[in-house]
Amino acid sequence: MTKLTKRALSVLLASMMVVSLVGCKKNDDGKPTPTPTQGASQSNEQSGTQGGDTQGDTPVQELKINEWDLNSKQYVYKDSVSTLPAYWNPHDYETNDDAYLADFISSGLYNIVFNDELHAVEGKENYSGYKIIPEMAASDPVDVTEAVKAAHPEFGIPESATKGYAYEIELNKDACWADGTKINADTYIYSMQQLLDPKMINYRATDYFSGALCIANAENYYYGGRTVKAANSTDGDSMKYAFDALVKGDDGVYRNADGEIALFGLAEGYARMKGDSLADYYGAGYIPDEGCWSVLSAAADEDNFVPVTDETIAALFSFTNSDDWGNEPKEYLGYYISFNKTYDEYAWENVGLFKNDDYKITLVLGKSLAGFNLYYHLTSNWLVYEPYYEACKSETNGSITTTYNTSVETTMSYGPYSLVSYQTDKALRLERNPKWYGYTDKQHIYMDPEDGEVYRMYQTDVIDCQVVAETATNKMMFLKGELMTYGLQADDYVSYRGSDYAYTSPKETLFFFIFNGNKEAINEREAAADFDTSKYDLQTMTLENFRRAIAVTYDKELFASTISPARSGGYGLIGNTYIYDPETGARYRDTEQAKKVLCEFYSVDVSKYASLDEAVDSITGYDPVKAKELFTQTFKDAIDAGFITDTDNDGKSDQEIRIEYSASAVNDFITKTLDYLNEKLADVTTGTPFEGKISFVCSAPYGTEWSNKLKAGLSDTALAGWTGSKLDPFGLSRLYTDPAYQYDAKWFDASTAMLTLNVNVAGIDKPASNKELTASIKVWSDALNGATVEIDGTEYCFGEGIADIETRLSILAGIEGVVLQTYNYIPMLQDGSMFLLTQQAFYVVEDYNAILGRGGIPYMKYNYTEDEWKAFVQSNNGELKY
Amino acid sequence: MWKYVTQRILFMFVTLLVITGMCFILIRMLPLQPLPAEDPHAAIVELQREAAGYNKPYLVQFGIFLKNVFTKFDWGVSDKLYIGRSVGAIFFEKLPATMIVNLYSILISIPIGIAFGVFAALKKNTWIDHFLSTVTMIAISVPSFVYAFIIQYVFYYKLSILPALMNSGTDYFSWEMFKSMLPAIMSLSFGVIAGFTRTTRAELTEVLTSEFMLLARTKGLTRAQATVRHAFKNCMVVVVPSIFGNFIGIMSGSLIIEKIFSVPGVGMLYLNSINAPDYPMFTMLTVFYTTIGLAASIVVDISYSFIDPRIRVGSKK
Repeated sequence: MTKLTKRALSVLLASMMVVSLVGCKKNDDGKPTPTPTQGASQSNEQSGTQGGDTQGDTPVQELKINEWDLNSKQYVYKDSVSTLPAYWNPHDYETNDDAYLADFISSGLYNIVFNDELHAVEGKENYSGYKIIPEMAASDPVDVTEAVKAAHPEFGIPESATKGYAYEIELNKDACWADGTKINADTYIYSMQQLLDPKMINYRATDYFSGALCIANAENYYYGGRTVKAANSTDGDSMKYAFDALVKGDDGVYRNADGEIALFGLAEGYARMKGDSLADYYGAGYIPDEGCWSVLSAAADEDNFVPVTDETIAALFSFTNSDDWGNEPKEYLGYYISFNKTYDEYAWENVGLFKNDDYKITLVLGKSLAGFNLYYHLTSNWLVYEPYYEACKSETNGSITTTYNTSVETTMSYGPYSLVSYQTDKALRLERNPKWYGYTDKQHIYMDPEDGEVYRMYQTDVIDCQVVAETATNKMMFLKGELMTYGLQADDYVSYRGSDYAYTSPKETLFFFIFNGNKEAINEREAAADFDTSKYDLQTMTLENFRRAIAVTYDKELFASTISPARSGGYGLIGNTYIYDPETGARYRDTEQAKKVLCEFYSVDVSKYASLDEAVDSITGYDPVKAKELFTQTFKDAIDAGFITDTDNDGKSDQEIRIEYSASAVNDFITKTLDYLNEKLADVTTGTPFEGKISFVCSAPYGTEWSNKLKAGLSDTALAGWTGSKLDPFGLSRLYTDPAYQYDAKWFDASTAMLTLNVNVAGIDKPASNKELTASIKVWSDALNGATVEIDGTEYCFGEGIADIETRLSILAGIEGVVLQTYNYIPMLQDGSMFLLTQQAFYVVEDYNAILGRGGIPYMKYNYTEDEWKAFVQSNNGELKY
Repeated sequence: MWKYVTQRILFMFVTLLVITGMCFILIRMLPLQPLPAEDPHAAIVELQREAAGYNKPYLVQFGIFLKNVFTKFDWGVSDKLYIGRSVGAIFFEKLPATMIVNLYSILISIPIGIAFGVFAALKKNTWIDHFLSTVTMIAISVPSFVYAFIIQYVFYYKLSILPALMNSGTDYFSWEMFKSMLPAIMSLSFGVIAGFTRTTRAELTEVLTSEFMLLARTKGLTRAQATVRHAFKNCMVVVVPSIFGNFIGIMSGSLIIEKIFSVPGVGMLYLNSINAPDYPMFTMLTVFYTTIGLAASIVVDISYSFIDPRIRVGSKK
């Protein structure tokens, strides 16, 4: 080697050392730098190709993946729950508690991961969105609607359909059960057949035919050979089919719009009667024989069901319309009705799931589904391990039950972890499933946004979960390093809300005050003997100016930070987490339409601000000057209406307005809320005719009846809210326009509240054709949610996939605006939660993502191994500071 | 005597049958949970209820229940908490944890409580007696769950010498498991120790002032000899039955203690079955607690005659 070459090499080596030293700088936050080799040997590092070969949209280059030691037990995620899963059979679990294991022991056909360098999404900054990757599938689904329609008429794909009804899915050949048994097309077919087996009455069966993911003929197969009697009302407040809408058939028996026979169930424990039956009331002597029971019982079949005919209607109505039964109107007969639906035996071959070859299946749908929603519904799976499933079956009264997935012995994993120990109601332990393909493939990797290195997902080796019932115990265990997270309670906020380890997660619920406007009920309450109208008044509460005054009395953010610091101020009826376009993650609250609604409701003059955003940001909900004006105006209105008096002409109300807060139970939260409301109200009413004359008072504990009291106008207000699907803000419109859900149904008729909108009636993929339409918000809401409605003699539908998104947003905003302007609802709080994360670990992504949260276990990294962590806790005298 | 015992046992079964019947029918009469509107699962739940026999007359349901219990010891399957799993299997899976915690508690409480009681009686009207009596009163007055939180805070959080919760697993006789059960055992024991102390002190004080004790001393026995041979034996006539009574108290007290210390026992199961509600599970546990209560009362009654031959239970003379 020449001298020159040696020198050149020396310079090169020196340069590399300098660059290496620069790269070794300490993290800004002072935390120990997570090293990929903690617990993992460098020899485990593998090379891979960026993005995986199924993506095909990322440049291929050699990558050094930091792998984790699959045999290590050093990274333990210590979790706690109040209720341990008891039954995690994917076919039959019922509760969220039972769903705990699903993410760990199973995998969906597709998965959603953060968008990063390796899973890039065009136009999206890394880690600001998500990317869908094939998981148990090998590639994206292929739309084969045309081919299946031609080859398989039994699935009933509509003639006009060209896409969205049938998909061919290639399966991941590396997928296997934890014992090494391959998962192939037969596994999928067997599992679905078991799921839909009519003899098993699986709770989750309906998930595959009643929602957006509707497998062709699955419902017919599931109910095959069975006559199902379904109650028309399952909650006693709403009906599936209005009684007036039933149609009399040629045989004199009434039927619903679907042609199902209507029956009065004499022995049925209908929700309207809180589980009691008409037979119970007959037995107790309430229902007379003559003209009623004798007629009904004579017409009853062996199961005590009576066909709904003119004769039986008259018989039952003679009782339900009597004084003894509260003079119920005729349409309430719908609460005592069941529908008879008979399903013929159905062949499994006609169900829309079949095998193409050992690793390819075709999914045929009864309703079209495409895009994000298709992938989203396929992120969960229905697979069961046949040997265990069959061994766990037992037959009782003709129906088959199974104890599959109720213990370690009856559970077989095919996800990243396996269940290794389980003690009922006590604890469970999951350890890595070394057979899971995700530990060796090129999909389950990510590029750390901090150090730019590529890591394998799932650094966690073990998940230990135990039942901790008491919050105080949870907190102590967390502070001693024995739990990974601790959900902050109201008392903790002062101490921990500023902690570096505190994380906030927004939630869907928007809480509002609903104000009693039921004039009839209020008048009745005022007419009661024990109500002194010379001292108190309730009617003033129904005046619009009164409600408008209340609406600007409270600073929403201050209210939130005072009574519930994890939450924030709520301004509209639809919360700020709802996403209207899952493809982009765009939120309804960020749209121009939604922002304008807020500005109009809070009387913000947009022209005074540089932008609409600035105008919206200026809203606090608090305007004491205007509130005083409105309270003064309310006084005049109330005097004119004769609601209140001012006998001594001192310009002040003689009566006190006591607003009853409908409380389910008296607790600290409600006490704090009422104290805050009264304090701020006292400030604002100072100097007005209502000074010291308005107050919120807590009701007796109403338990679960609180909402019924409110709806009936027997109580005056409550902080209530709705939670909907975060990917469907449009569905929320029904909650404010459908009497079955409305809090204000007794005093606000959404079918008479008109809304005029200029909308594009042409639909998607067609040249815009704008038209000004006027209809009630009930009609607009129905049209928005997929119903075909008639406006000005023309039929319209603005449902998903039919109308363009801008039109749908305008309709939703229009409805929100009209409902807000009634001042029946006054938005107050946007729900949220806050938790502390252990110092032992951290999330790769700090910011909350509406779809993925912070990524969960796959994206969690550790600062300390378990041994190091114990030493660290001990060095802090067994009590950590957060 | 044996006739009396047989009679009592027969009556116990009749009482148990009546209580079980009442509980079963009342539970089945409870309104079923209303199903949420628009929930597609509602129809399935209706079918499941029908399959479970909820639509049959109550007496028919009770008849089926009794037949299954007596012929197959089948208490039905859980319909909420552990869907499809045998109620009996779950119960027996959880019984050992409850029994072991209660057993340890009783084993610790009896000697300590009696020792304190004897000591207080022997030191009657001294500051020691006053101190023990005061502490006893406080200990009896405070509910066990208050001890639970104090013990957890002091011994786990502050001193780090005991774990917060009972360990998982079923190796109930290992040292680690015993250590993890100590907070629960201590919480249950304080009140019981105080109860035994008070009973023993009261009985022993009375016996010690009896004339036969004076006779024993005058015939030459030392105070210790007289106390152990005569006084202690006599006071046991009241103390031993109270052990059985306390056992029942501990069983009910453990409902909340099991929850706090995460003891996977039947106490927590009972609470959960009420909250769920899981009617088959609740029915079985109600029968269990009723049986324990009835059996204990018989054992207490019968134990008198074994402890003190002068007592002849069931005798007509």
